[in-house]
Amino acid sequence: MKKILAILLAGMMTATALAGCGESGGSGTESKADGGSQADNTSKSDGGGATIDPSFPDESLFGDETNITLKVWAPDKAVNLTKEQVKAFQDHYSNTTFASIEVVAQGESDAATMIVNDPEKAADVFGFPSDQLEKLVDADVLSPVTKGFVDTVKANNAEKTVTAVEAEDGSLYAYPETNDNGYYLVFDNTVVTADDAKTLEGVLEACKKAGKQFILDSGNGFYSCVFAFTGGAVIDGFEADGETQKFVEYDETEVVKTLMAFAKLMKDYKGTYTSQDPANISTGFKNGTVAAGVDGSWNSTADKEALGDKFGAAKLPTINVGGTDKQIISMFGYKYIGVNSHTKYQRAAQILAYYLTGLQCQQDRAEKLGWGPSNKAAQEALADDPILTAISEQAENAVPQVKIAGTFWSSMGTLGSELYKDAWNPDDEAATKTLFEKTIANIRDEG
Amino acid sequence: MTYVEYKMLNPMQKFAYNFKKFFKNAPGAIGRFFKAVGLAIVHFFVGIGKGFKDFGVTFVKGDWATKLSYVIFGVGDIHKGKYYKGILYFLVEVLYVLFMVFFGGEYIYKLPTLGTATKVVEYDEFGFEKVLDHGDNSMIILLYATLTIVVTIVVFAVYISNIKDAYRHQIMRQNGEKPTSLKVDAKEFLDGKYHITLLSFPILMIGIFNILPLIFMILIAFTNYNGKEHLVMFDWVGMQNFGNLLNVVDSARKANTFFGIAGWTLIWAIAATFSNYILGIIVALMINKKGIKLKSLFRTMFVITIAVPQFVSLLLMSQMLTQDGAFNILLSHFNGGVNPRIDFLAGTPLMARMTVIIVNCWVGVPYTILSMSGILMNIPEDLYESARIDGASPFKTFTKITLPYMIFVTTPQLITQFVGNINNFNVIFLLTGGKPSNPDYHSAGYTDILVTWLYNLSMGEQKDYGLASAIGILVFIICATLSLIVYNNSKSMKDEEAFS
Repeated sequence: MKKILAILLAGMMTATALAGCGESGGSGTESKADGGSQADNTSKSDGGGATIDPSFPDESLFGDETNITLKVWAPDKAVNLTKEQVKAFQDHYSNTTFASIEVVAQGESDAATMIVNDPEKAADVFGFPSDQLEKLVDADVLSPVTKGFVDTVKANNAEKTVTAVEAEDGSLYAYPETNDNGYYLVFDNTVVTADDAKTLEGVLEACKKAGKQFILDSGNGFYSCVFAFTGGAVIDGFEADGETQKFVEYDETEVVKTLMAFAKLMKDYKGTYTSQDPANISTGFKNGTVAAGVDGSWNSTADKEALGDKFGAAKLPTINVGGTDKQIISMFGYKYIGVNSHTKYQRAAQILAYYLTGLQCQQDRAEKLGWGPSNKAAQEALADDPILTAISEQAENAVPQVKIAGTFWSSMGTLGSELYKDAWNPDDEAATKTLFEKTIANIRDEG
Repeated sequence: MTYVEYKMLNPMQKFAYNFKKFFKNAPGAIGRFFKAVGLAIVHFFVGIGKGFKDFGVTFVKGDWATKLSYVIFGVGDIHKGKYYKGILYFLVEVLYVLFMVFFGGEYIYKLPTLGTATKVVEYDEFGFEKVLDHGDNSMIILLYATLTIVVTIVVFAVYISNIKDAYRHQIMRQNGEKPTSLKVDAKEFLDGKYHITLLSFPILMIGIFNILPLIFMILIAFTNYNGKEHLVMFDWVGMQNFGNLLNVVDSARKANTFFGIAGWTLIWAIAATFSNYILGIIVALMINKKGIKLKSLFRTMFVITIAVPQFVSLLLMSQMLTQDGAFNILLSHFNGGVNPRIDFLAGTPLMARMTVIIVNCWVGVPYTILSMSGILMNIPEDLYESARIDGASPFKTFTKITLPYMIFVTTPQLITQFVGNINNFNVIFLLTGGKPSNPDYHSAGYTDILVTWLYNLSMGEQKDYGLASAIGILVFIICATLSLIVYNNSKSMKDEEAFS
């Protein structure tokens, strides 16, 4: 009896050991991206229109690959649609045998980390946002777009989405999928008129009069980078060492003035200007506490539903700095579909990625998921959608979300939080200057 | 000072005396600590030296089969008729050689550089890529090299035991004894060596799932495994990560962050532990007081807060404490209807830190009440009875009986709680997420403690695993040192029999 008990105890010890392992193992592979890479997207729009079908390359390109097994990663909301698209793909190439093409749900912001951690077990074809590109290129896990496709892909997609993935030798690292990963101004048009929405002062004044709030998530680097960007401190990839964030030449006094202008507005409109999670915008619209906010394309459906006819969308407003109105500069990203270089079916994976980013599939996604297409023909068909118009107008005043140092997000978040704090004095030029210099030092990981 | 003199001091004087004594004895205690460490090291090397001596002596005294066992495992055993064991030893050697040739050797070879090969590809006429070689992955190399080293250590142990066994059997033959049979040996595992039967599997599992990853993670602290450019190919950097954390001159920002956060971590751990402890004791005493009605109802009410998962309470609290949250709405009723917009969690550092400590009471006090109630009910009633007969006041009874008893029983628990609070990820992460922000810190805020900072560095966008691992090691050193010192100086350790 004693011995049996002892065996049981020993078994329990083993179980504990295993449990301990489970925890540490989990924390090793899971990861959470902060604000930087907002992946899911639910904006909805009408559109359509038939054009020629540049989706299906010639079947002979499969070469000697048969019995093809592929794994595709798509974000949760897109899994069903992707499954349908993959089905159509298999049906079209009836002479090629497919063992299976599996579509698995995987958040896009984590996809790159997952691929880098274990490329052997990861998907063959996967979607990812543009700020993850650098990681994938460094880790050498992307198979570039097949040379035969490069010209077509370049010709069919919006220029900015192409240049962001272009390597120095002109090849492309991945296939452009969307052109909408950004944020814009949403407002309740019974409170904020289209005219008010042109300037930040106008928006805040209108909100204050109505006793409602304006939301800009100032503690999240993804949104709060607008403060520094608007002042002219815009990022431009990396320095020659490939890891230190590079800034374009900027005028520090101008940046400081802009930061002070933002901080002044935060103080003058205390209680109106609030820093909250953008998810609170749609709930605020619903219960009438919020009249405007800076929200991402992925929340458009919720915002639109909350406001109904009162929904208004525009590019980000201007801000008055020392007498001149300055357009607020934001961050704007794209999404891509990449091919894992560890795939066993290189040809099939490339053709599938080409097809999934082709005109037909992009139109499907625009219709059913509201994703803004990168394909020029698909874009034209959606030209009068107010949200996509606002997004594309803002995209003209945006910094592409590529080649961003890991230190960027939290440091920019800190900058925004500091300016927003009650204790911050918006007229203190010296303190603002120090804060800005510290932020730059943090981003560039100096000292 | 004699015992009687000490007993006649008033509490303040006693405290002053003990305080002085502690610092007077501190150098001696530290000296003893280092002496003990030194002795342990000396013992270790003496042990190794003895091992080498035995190794040589056995070789000189051994016959040809024993000598051959130094190269080929198990020959000695087979020669002496202990076939099954000899064959097992031999099999281990064969498997190990195969393991090294086909798997481990490559990783050990690459361990010093952690890999240098890059991806090799070729393209066909349409441009389809064909990958000929995927290049090295430093993480895989480090992981498998660690595994190989551990396997090698185990095989070395088997090697030594093979030699010892061969020599033992040689002696046995000289004395005319026969080697035991497989059946007898197997039976021994259910009797004299029963502990080995029981513990081998758990130890194997702990080795694979706990020790091995631990070695791997510790080694990462000496590499530049980070998200900058080294996610796949990284190198050894020696003590650079520790230097970044500790060198206040050359790496001012990171070192200042480390010391700033470490200081707050200690303040937090002390405040959180003792606030819970004291409040818990007070409430438990009140509930357990004679004459209180509905004791079990009160006890249940407090325990119900445990039924709500901690993270739910914390997330709710963090929502209620925002500028537009329930607390500020409540306060606006006393403020003439104007929302005061007090930022409890991200306002001033002092406010945020105090809020965290107070909210922590909400989730922590019920546990203390629970364990304290049990302890209070366990104090022998006759102690109180004799105190009453001697005419002791209730306060005296508390300070002379209840408190010493409780402190005696709960010191180990206090230490666990203290260490637990140093690593109390949930409360900080779910409540403030490290806010208010601090532009002087490297990816951390005012309420961040070392573990949440570690989390920011490894799970955030930076993926600075090397630095995070170094922080983890330093946290371990802090926790281990503090717990050892406190535990060794506690009454529970020095005087185990006091209350039995």
